[in-house]
Amino acid sequence: MPRYGMVIDLDRCTGCRACMESCKVENNTPEATFWMYVFRFEEGEYPDTRVRFMPRPCMHCDNAPCVKVCPVGARYKREDGLVATDWERCIGCRYCEVACPYGVNTFNWTHPEEQYYLGWEDGAPPWANPDLNEPYGDERRRIAGGGRDEGVIEKCTFCVQRVEQGLDPACVHGCPLKALVFGDLDDPESPPSRLLRKKEAFRLLEEVGTEPRVHYVGGGPPSENSKQIDAVEARV
Amino acid sequence: MAARLERLPFGVGHTSGRWKLWMAVLAAIAILGWYGWYLELSRGMIVTGLRNIGPMGGATWGMDVAFIVYFVGVSFAGITVAALVRLADVKALRPIARMAEALTVVSLVLAVFAIMYDLGQPLRGIVNLFRYARPQSPFFGTFTLVISGYLFASLVYLYLGGRRDAARCAEVPGRLQRFYQLWAAGYGDTREEQERRSRASFWLAIAIVPLLVVAHSTLGFVFGLQVGRPGWYSALQAPSFVLLAGVSGIGMLIVIAAVVRRTVAGTDRLDDGVFRWLGNALMILLLAYLYFMVVELLTSIYTGAEREREVTEALLSGRYAPIYWAAVALLVIPLAFLIMRYFRRGAGLTTLVASGVMVNLSAMAKRFLIVVPSQTHGTLLPYQPGSYTPTWVEWAEMAGLIAFGALLLAVFAKLFPIMPVEGSES
Repeated sequence: MPRYGMVIDLDRCTGCRACMESCKVENNTPEATFWMYVFRFEEGEYPDTRVRFMPRPCMHCDNAPCVKVCPVGARYKREDGLVATDWERCIGCRYCEVACPYGVNTFNWTHPEEQYYLGWEDGAPPWANPDLNEPYGDERRRIAGGGRDEGVIEKCTFCVQRVEQGLDPACVHGCPLKALVFGDLDDPESPPSRLLRKKEAFRLLEEVGTEPRVHYVGGGPPSENSKQIDAVEARV
Repeated sequence: MAARLERLPFGVGHTSGRWKLWMAVLAAIAILGWYGWYLELSRGMIVTGLRNIGPMGGATWGMDVAFIVYFVGVSFAGITVAALVRLADVKALRPIARMAEALTVVSLVLAVFAIMYDLGQPLRGIVNLFRYARPQSPFFGTFTLVISGYLFASLVYLYLGGRRDAARCAEVPGRLQRFYQLWAAGYGDTREEQERRSRASFWLAIAIVPLLVVAHSTLGFVFGLQVGRPGWYSALQAPSFVLLAGVSGIGMLIVIAAVVRRTVAGTDRLDDGVFRWLGNALMILLLAYLYFMVVELLTSIYTGAEREREVTEALLSGRYAPIYWAAVALLVIPLAFLIMRYFRRGAGLTTLVASGVMVNLSAMAKRFLIVVPSQTHGTLLPYQPGSYTPTWVEWAEMAGLIAFGALLLAVFAKLFPIMPVEGSES
């Protein structure tokens, strides 16, 4: 069985956020929800400043804090390395969200029809993907984007609906600079494994022991003076 | 058996106009709170001020969770007093044992409501928490030990402890007679029965004491085990949860005992001795808790790990500073009162009751400060600091729960003697 992972080449990333857009279109995420998020940092002090970018999908950790804390096993680790959310079982306690050090979980704060860009009640929006409602994996559990029930958690699925068909996740597919590389990390000849051999790699927040399956090459982790350029505020 | 009762003691079964007015006010507030929950159920949790951590810059746990912890904390009082009376034979606390147990049961019921308010899918929660229970989740302890175990043990204790009084009240003809007969369940107060009751309550008290520590600790573990949240991840979290639980529980018990003494006739046995004992217990718990607070604060500012420092700065001088320093003042002022009372025996009740109220306000604020800042200012990745402002729905829900709790206690006091009936304490 392959064990999937992702390698992100920060040297190639230009912060265009096409991955965020691809993710949104593929997974039909609600307003203000981004499963894939690209940090845009400003670092240093004038005149010695620079701008850099860091995409942040779910890390699909091998020792995932969200899996540990879920009281009902709705968040679970699949054998192929994906960390999945069973949105039929989730009770909406949001413990996974506070446990995650990366801030990748998003909650459905209201009814699906109230948080879409286009009305849900007039039939499916043009980009709706029926694959999102199917059960996946040997467990046959509904873990892709899905119906977006009010009051359940969701996060990046590594596009399980595409991966099980042998395709790359949407963010990887949509990146114009091939900064994102997806594949079987157990296979030494897979594209991500080859990239990992070529360049020095790091993982985010390795010190907290989460064993992320997303590796970064080129550049380094954000430091104390990495300040986000874009202001964020609570909104839905 | 002691002399037959002529009429029900402590105003049980008699309601005045003023009492009814009070109940109407409390019921109105409680209903407003449930209306808030109705809004939350029908429109989604978007009616709260909660939002996602990280890119959305919010807090996903807020007032609901703070009050779950607060209500569970208040439940500390009943079990502790019951265990002290039975195991350590503290006679001074005997008159307040029953109201303390009632306080425990009521506050746990309120905690269950607050949990339901906090779940995005409450109905699924009721089913799935049993169906797919995972002991690895710190929540497991909250649901099994705290809610089920604690609540069940308290109810059994309340029931067993009340059988004798129920048997005595059942002698008084009236509308409540059937209820007392049911509660007494054939209790005849023979020597054999007294012994059996004493034995049962002894073993129950033995079983309850570890539960007391473990239950409040598991609630601390919900936060203390999360390495990804600066400000939460601390071995002190569990023990300081136990201590703050004690502070708020004993503080609330003081308030309730004072209200009972003021409003219920024939409660002279609630004398200065009882209140002195409670005041001193509160003083010791407060001292211990303040010590924990100082240790925790020193640890987080001394080494200056970046994210840890950011949370602490938000508390000490940032966004949360007004709440933080108010909470500190509401702990220090009562401590001063209590120390003064300790040295000047027989001081009035006013400062003691004020202390009880203040430490409870402080406990609510502290619970809020444990839950929220680590989400808005404790992200390990450099997200910008977030914010969380509760909406009126959350305020209404929590005010409603507190009113509902007061209502339950007041109704209980009219259904059953709030204190052991005279002559049945031997």
